[in-house]
Amino acid sequence: MPTSKMDNPNEDYKIQSFDLETQKLLKTALKVVSMPSEPSAVDLEKVSNVIVDQSLKDPVFSKEAGRICYTIVQAEAKHNGNVFRRNLLNRLQLEFKAREETRLRSRQEWVCFVTFICNIFDYLKVNSMPMVALVHPVFDCLFRLAQPDSLNNEEEVDCLVLQLHRIGDQLEKMNSQRMDELFYLLRDGFLLQEGLSSMARLLLLEILEFRAGAWTLSDTAQKYYYSEVND
Amino acid sequence: MSFRQKSKCADGEYNGDENRNRGPSKWSNCRKRGADGSMRSNGDVDSTSTSDLKKSNPTHKHPDNRPVSFTTPESGGPVSRCTDWGSEVETDEMRTSVRRDMQRYRRRILTADFGPRERTNSSGSSDSRDSPVPGEGMEDDEEVLMRRQKQINYGKNTLAYDRYIQEVPKHLRQPAHPKTPNKFKKYSRRSWDQQIKLWKVKIHAWDPPAQQGSELQAIEEVDLDDIMDIELDFPELDSDASAQPVKVTKAPSSQLDTCHGTPSKMIKMEASVDLDMV
Repeated sequence: MPTSKMDNPNEDYKIQSFDLETQKLLKTALKVVSMPSEPSAVDLEKVSNVIVDQSLKDPVFSKEAGRICYTIVQAEAKHNGNVFRRNLLNRLQLEFKAREETRLRSRQEWVCFVTFICNIFDYLKVNSMPMVALVHPVFDCLFRLAQPDSLNNEEEVDCLVLQLHRIGDQLEKMNSQRMDELFYLLRDGFLLQEGLSSMARLLLLEILEFRAGAWTLSDTAQKYYYSEVND
Repeated sequence: MSFRQKSKCADGEYNGDENRNRGPSKWSNCRKRGADGSMRSNGDVDSTSTSDLKKSNPTHKHPDNRPVSFTTPESGGPVSRCTDWGSEVETDEMRTSVRRDMQRYRRRILTADFGPRERTNSSGSSDSRDSPVPGEGMEDDEEVLMRRQKQINYGKNTLAYDRYIQEVPKHLRQPAHPKTPNKFKKYSRRSWDQQIKLWKVKIHAWDPPAQQGSELQAIEEVDLDDIMDIELDFPELDSDASAQPVKVTKAPSSQLDTCHGTPSKMIKMEASVDLDMV
């Protein structure tokens, strides 16, 4: 228990957002998974489902869930286990397949899903490399967010640029061609799309500059985009 | 470039054609986490990641352009499709581990070339613990290495192996102890499989004490089964001796009573395998 807390100062705070039973399950998972003796004491498949479920309905949690998943994956890997990771990824795949229906049903849930899968991509590595299996799916999600109907939705634009800020450089290293294609769409959207809100345009312009500066903002750009907020 | 061209990926199924699906291991009854099915299911692991699609063309199988017939054909069996991300990531993980190990091994070949007779103990994280012989051919077919690594992982993913590495620290190991076969050496398929079998038989000496008769029964069946195979290839082996697990170490635990007094003749097995290795 102490180790997982030290690794993840935010963990306990985040766990508060679950209902009591789920909190208990997660805490037991984090505790038990780090002990070799009883690997089957916690149903890691259930844990992975609980985490995905919560991520899909809780926008805050979907941004942080990767950290918890990382802790569990690390712990189970110490004992050559991968039940949790396997179930997590396969559940993610199911959600990925159903993403278009999800988006039609609930824009928030769709945004949560994209946030979550990108967070997992960011946190879970395989031999220190991003998971190849997730590269195309993550790109597919971002491409979806770059479609005209999504660009008209500020919630989705916000999600898109946030993900690109976080994992854009990693994604580009994995597949620069698709990143180029994504940015063709974003430039087109920025220039040509009718009815784009000025907020959406601002976000798009910033991300265009951000990538053009090799995934950093120059000081002047930083000042331009954020000084108002600071003052 | 637009969304439509992505449609082949859009359903999330990336199929490769180099997947091999072999049956469940005979040793699966000793697997640490097999019972819940989620970790070691039948359709496990062998699958292809997206990035390998290009390479799955059989004509590119050997990076050094050897003709396919040059090496022992190491696999057969039906080709399965990769359907889930979990397996895909596991395969990816094994592939990158094998690549990393390969680089490590090459480095060690280089250092062996320069530093004569200086055998420092290796890091221990690598599976191949005996030092490489410079100039000798190295197995560098990734598919072969991955298949071998998988076999090794099966052997290591047992309670017996955990007990073994706990009870016998590295510096106390003797030739008669189980020693992980070196996956980087050139062996025929047959020789390799034999080594794996013998290795597993030896590891079984550290099986946890059986609590129920049925479990013991199952393990013994497997042992016998494999020893039958061994006899076919090594007729000089005394079947009575090999029907019992080897127990060479002075195990502190008294639960291992069943293994006491086992003749340690089994050491000979390694010698006979070595003949095959040449």
